[in-house]
Amino acid sequence: MTDKTILSVDNLALSYGSNPILKGVSMQLRRGEVVSLLGPSGSGKTTLLRAVAGLEQPHTGSVTIAGRAIYDAAAGIDIPAEKRDLGLVFQSYALWPHKTVFDNVAYPLKLRKVAAGEMGTRVHAALKNLGLDHLAERYPHQLSGGQQQRVSIARALVYNPPVILLDEPLSNLDAKMREEARAWLRNLIVEMQLSALVVTHDQSEAMAMSDRILLLNGGVIEQQGTPQEMYGQPQTHFVADFMGSNNVMKGRIGDIRGGEARIDLDNGMAVWGLRRTNAAIGHEACAVVRVEQAQLCEGPGDNRAEIELVTSMFLGDRFEYVFHAGDDLLRVWGKTHEAPGRRWVSLPAGGVWIF
Amino acid sequence: MLQTLPRRAVVALLALSVFFPIGLVLWQSVLSGPFFMPAAVPSLESYAFIFNDPDFWQAGRNTLAVAFGMGAIAIPLGAILAFIMVRTDLPGRRWLETPILVPIFVSPVVLGFGYVVSLGPVGFFSVWFQELFGSVPWNIYSLASIIVIAGLTHVPHVYLYSSSALRNLGSDVEEAARLSGAGPFRVARDVSLPMVSPALLYVGVLVFFLGFEIFGLPLILGDPEGHLVLTTYLYKLTNKLGTPSYHLMAAVATCIIAVTFPLVLLQRALLKSAQRFVAMKGKSARQRPLMLGPWKWLALALILAWLFVTVVVPVSGIALRSVVSSWGQGVNLLEVLTLDHFRAVFEEDTMIRSIINSVLIGTLGGALAIGCYLAVGLAIHRKNDGLARFVDYIVLTPRAVPGLMAGLAVFWVFLFVPFLSPLRSTLFSVWFAYAVVWLAYGMRLIQSALMQVGPELEEAGRLVGASHSRVSRDITIPLVRNGLLGAWLLVFMIFEREYSTGVYLLSPGTEVIGAQIVSLWASGAVDVVAALSLINMALVGIGLAIALRFGVKLHD
Ligand SMILES: Nc1ncnc2c1ncn2[C@@H]1O[C@H](COP(=O)(O)OP(=O)(O)O)[C@@H](O)[C@H]1O
Ligand SMILES: [Mg+2]
Repeated sequence: MTDKTILSVDNLALSYGSNPILKGVSMQLRRGEVVSLLGPSGSGKTTLLRAVAGLEQPHTGSVTIAGRAIYDAAAGIDIPAEKRDLGLVFQSYALWPHKTVFDNVAYPLKLRKVAAGEMGTRVHAALKNLGLDHLAERYPHQLSGGQQQRVSIARALVYNPPVILLDEPLSNLDAKMREEARAWLRNLIVEMQLSALVVTHDQSEAMAMSDRILLLNGGVIEQQGTPQEMYGQPQTHFVADFMGSNNVMKGRIGDIRGGEARIDLDNGMAVWGLRRTNAAIGHEACAVVRVEQAQLCEGPGDNRAEIELVTSMFLGDRFEYVFHAGDDLLRVWGKTHEAPGRRWVSLPAGGVWIF
Repeated sequence: MLQTLPRRAVVALLALSVFFPIGLVLWQSVLSGPFFMPAAVPSLESYAFIFNDPDFWQAGRNTLAVAFGMGAIAIPLGAILAFIMVRTDLPGRRWLETPILVPIFVSPVVLGFGYVVSLGPVGFFSVWFQELFGSVPWNIYSLASIIVIAGLTHVPHVYLYSSSALRNLGSDVEEAARLSGAGPFRVARDVSLPMVSPALLYVGVLVFFLGFEIFGLPLILGDPEGHLVLTTYLYKLTNKLGTPSYHLMAAVATCIIAVTFPLVLLQRALLKSAQRFVAMKGKSARQRPLMLGPWKWLALALILAWLFVTVVVPVSGIALRSVVSSWGQGVNLLEVLTLDHFRAVFEEDTMIRSIINSVLIGTLGGALAIGCYLAVGLAIHRKNDGLARFVDYIVLTPRAVPGLMAGLAVFWVFLFVPFLSPLRSTLFSVWFAYAVVWLAYGMRLIQSALMQVGPELEEAGRLVGASHSRVSRDITIPLVRNGLLGAWLLVFMIFEREYSTGVYLLSPGTEVIGAQIVSLWASGAVDVVAALSLINMALVGIGLAIALRFGVKLHD
C-alpha cells in the first residue's frame, strides 16, 4: 500500500448462507484513479461494491479508506454505511421521489448540519457542475434518464466523499446515449480529480473509462491491470475470451519452442502462437485469436490456411467475413465486400494465444 | 428502522401485549376457579367439566359441520366467481367488483340480524313469499341454514385470494384449451383453477379456520333452536355455574386455540409456497378475456342472484326493519313506517356514547393502531435476524384466539394489573383489545406498504449519512404515506365492523356499537338493534366510500 492509496480492500470474503459470493478479493484504488470492476453477470461485482459501501456483511477481510479502517473482521470493526462517508451512484439512481432535485442533493448536507446559506450555494454549485441548475425545483419523475443519472451523481458528490462508487452507471441509458455518457463521465471524473470505483459488465465501457481494470470471475479477481494490459496480455483463457471479440478454436499441442507453441486444431489448421499453458505435447488446448488480428491474405505461408468464405456481413465501418473451417466458424474483418469462395486467411503468431 | 434499543423495546412491548393476555387464558384454563379467587388451585377440572358436558361435544360437531359445509359452498363458488370476474368478458365487471366485497365489511352479527328480519319466520321476505306462494320452504334457524348463509357470505374471502392468483396467470394456457375444444367452464375447471391450486389450498385452510371461529351468525341464528358452536358455547358458559366460570371458558378457548393455531401456521406456510409458485412462473403473458358468448348472461344472472341473497336481502331487511314499528302477516308497510327507533337511539346516553365511541375507536383508535403497527413494521423492516422472525410469529399468534376470548383476556389484564385498572372502563381497554386482535391484519397492510419502497432508496439514504432512524423518518415514512392512509381506512372499517372483542369489555364508558348489538340482542330489543345495525353499516359504508374515492385497494 502506498500513501497514494485511498481505498484498500484486503482478502474480503462474503457468503449468502452457505453460498460463497466473494472468495477473498484484494484490490487498491489510488487517489485520482478510476478503477473498473468488470466481470460477467453474477460474478460478484455489485456485491463487492456494496460490501465496500457497508450495505453487505462480509465475514472476513478488511476495507480501509484514506488510512481509516471501516471494516476489519479480525479487529471487529464494522462502521455502519452512514458513517463511511462514501458516495454511491446506484444502478437505478435511487432518487427519492418525494423530494425535488434540490432536496435530493441537499439532503446529505442537511444531515451534516450545513447552514442553510452555505447549503444552497453548495447544492447549486454541484448542480451547475452537472448542467442541472435549471432543474432544481423539479421532481425526479419529471426528468429524463440521463438527467436522473446526473442528479444521482450530484447527490453522491455534494459532500466531497473521498471515493465515489458507481454501480453500472450507464446501463439504464439507451445504447446511443451510452457512448456519449461514458465520455462525459470519464471527463467529469478526471476534471474533478475524483477517485472512482465503477462496476460494469461491458468490457469496452471498462476500457474506455478506467485507468485500471479488475476482472472478477466467480468471486475472485482473475486478472488486473491497465486496459492495454488486460486487452493485449491476457493471462488466462477467461480473460482473453472476456476482453474483445475472439475466434476460439480447440486442438492439441503439436510442438513447443520456448514461449511459443504450435497447436494442431481440430478443424485441420496448424498455427503457431504465444504459449500460455503448461500442457505438454499431445494434450488438449485451445487457440484464441482476436477477430481484428485475423487477416485475408494472398497466398500460403506460416500460420495461413485456405478455407471456405461463406458470407460477408456489412457492419457500417467494416465487413465481417464468416469462414467455415471444419466445425469452427472463423470471423475476420476487412474493408471490402468479398464474394463467397475459398480464400487464404492469416493468423499472425503474435496475435494467437494458446491456453 | 430503529436503532437497536428502541427496536428491542418495541418488540418487547409487542410480545408483552400479545403473550400476557394469551398466557393468562392458558393459565386460567388449568385452575380450579377464576384466577383472582384465593381458592383457585392448579387443576384440570375445567377440562374434565367441559369434556363431560354433552353440549360441548355437540357444539364441536356443529363447528366441524359449519367449517366443512362453509368450505364446500364458499370455495367452489368463490373460485368460479373469481374466474368469471378476472378472466372473462362478463358484462359490468368493473361495476360488480365492489358489491362483491361488501359481505367482508359487514359485521357478521349485523348480517345475522339482517337474515332474521328478512328470512325469519316473520321476516319481510318470508311474509312476501308466503303471500305469493302460500308457504315458506326454508327455516332460517336450522343448522343447514346457518351453514348455507355462512358459506354464501364467505364467498368473497375465497374470491379475493383466487382472483389475485388468477391475475398472475398467462392467458395462453386457457386459449390453448379453448382451441382444443373446451367451453369456457371446462377451461376454468380443467386448466385455470388447477393452475391456481396452491392459492385455493391456502384459501381452503383459511375458510376452515374462519368457520372454526365463526360467532356472530350462529349467535343470532343458532339461538332459537339451540344450535351451539364452540364460540357460542363459550359465550353461554359465562354464567353456567352462577359464578363467573372463567376457568371453563378458558378451557374451551384453549381447545379452540389448539385447532386454530396450527391452522394459522399452516396458512403461513401455504401462503409462502403459493407465492413461490407464482414467482417461479415469472412474468405472465398479456391476458385477454375469455369470450363467454351467450354464457355471459347466465354467469351474470348467477352472480346477481348470489349478491341478492348475501347483500340485498339482509341489508334491505335491516333498513326496512329500522323504520317500521312492527311487522308480520297482513301488516301494511305504509301504515307502520316510523322513525321512533332512531329517536330512541338518540335519546339514550348509552346509545349515543356507543356511536361516538365507535367513531372514535375507528378514527383515532385506527390511527393509533396504525402508528403501533408501523413502529413494529419499521423495527423489522428489511431485517432477517432472530428478532424479525420472532415478531413474525408474535404477529400471527392473536389470530388464533377468538375475538370474544381475546376481549375477555384483555378485560382480565385491565382488571388485575394494578396500574392498568383505572383504564379498564375507558375506551383504551377496548382499543387495546382491538389492536391486538387485528395485529396480523394490520401488520400485513403495513408490511406490504413498506415493501413498496425500493430498498435502494433507503440504502441511498444510509450512504449519504443518514442513520436508520433518520432514513425511516425522512425517506421510508414519507414514501409510504399513501399506503398508511389506505391502511388507516381499512382498519377503520374493520374496527367499526368488530363486535365480539368488545363484548366482555362492555361497561359504562366503553360501549361500542358491535358489542352493544350483541348485548341488546340478548335482551330482545329488536327495534333498537335494527337502528344500531343500520348506523353501523352506514359507518362502514362511509369508510368504504372514502376508500373507493381515494382508490385504496381493498385487497392485495
Ligand atoms: N440477496 C442475495 N441472496 C442470495 N444470493 C445473492 C443475493 N444477491 C446476489 N446474490 C448472488 O450473488 C452472486 C453475485 O451477485 P452480484 O454481486 O449482484 O453479481 P454482479 O453484480 O456481478 O452481476 C450472484 O450469483 C447472485 O445470484
Ligand atoms: Mg450487478
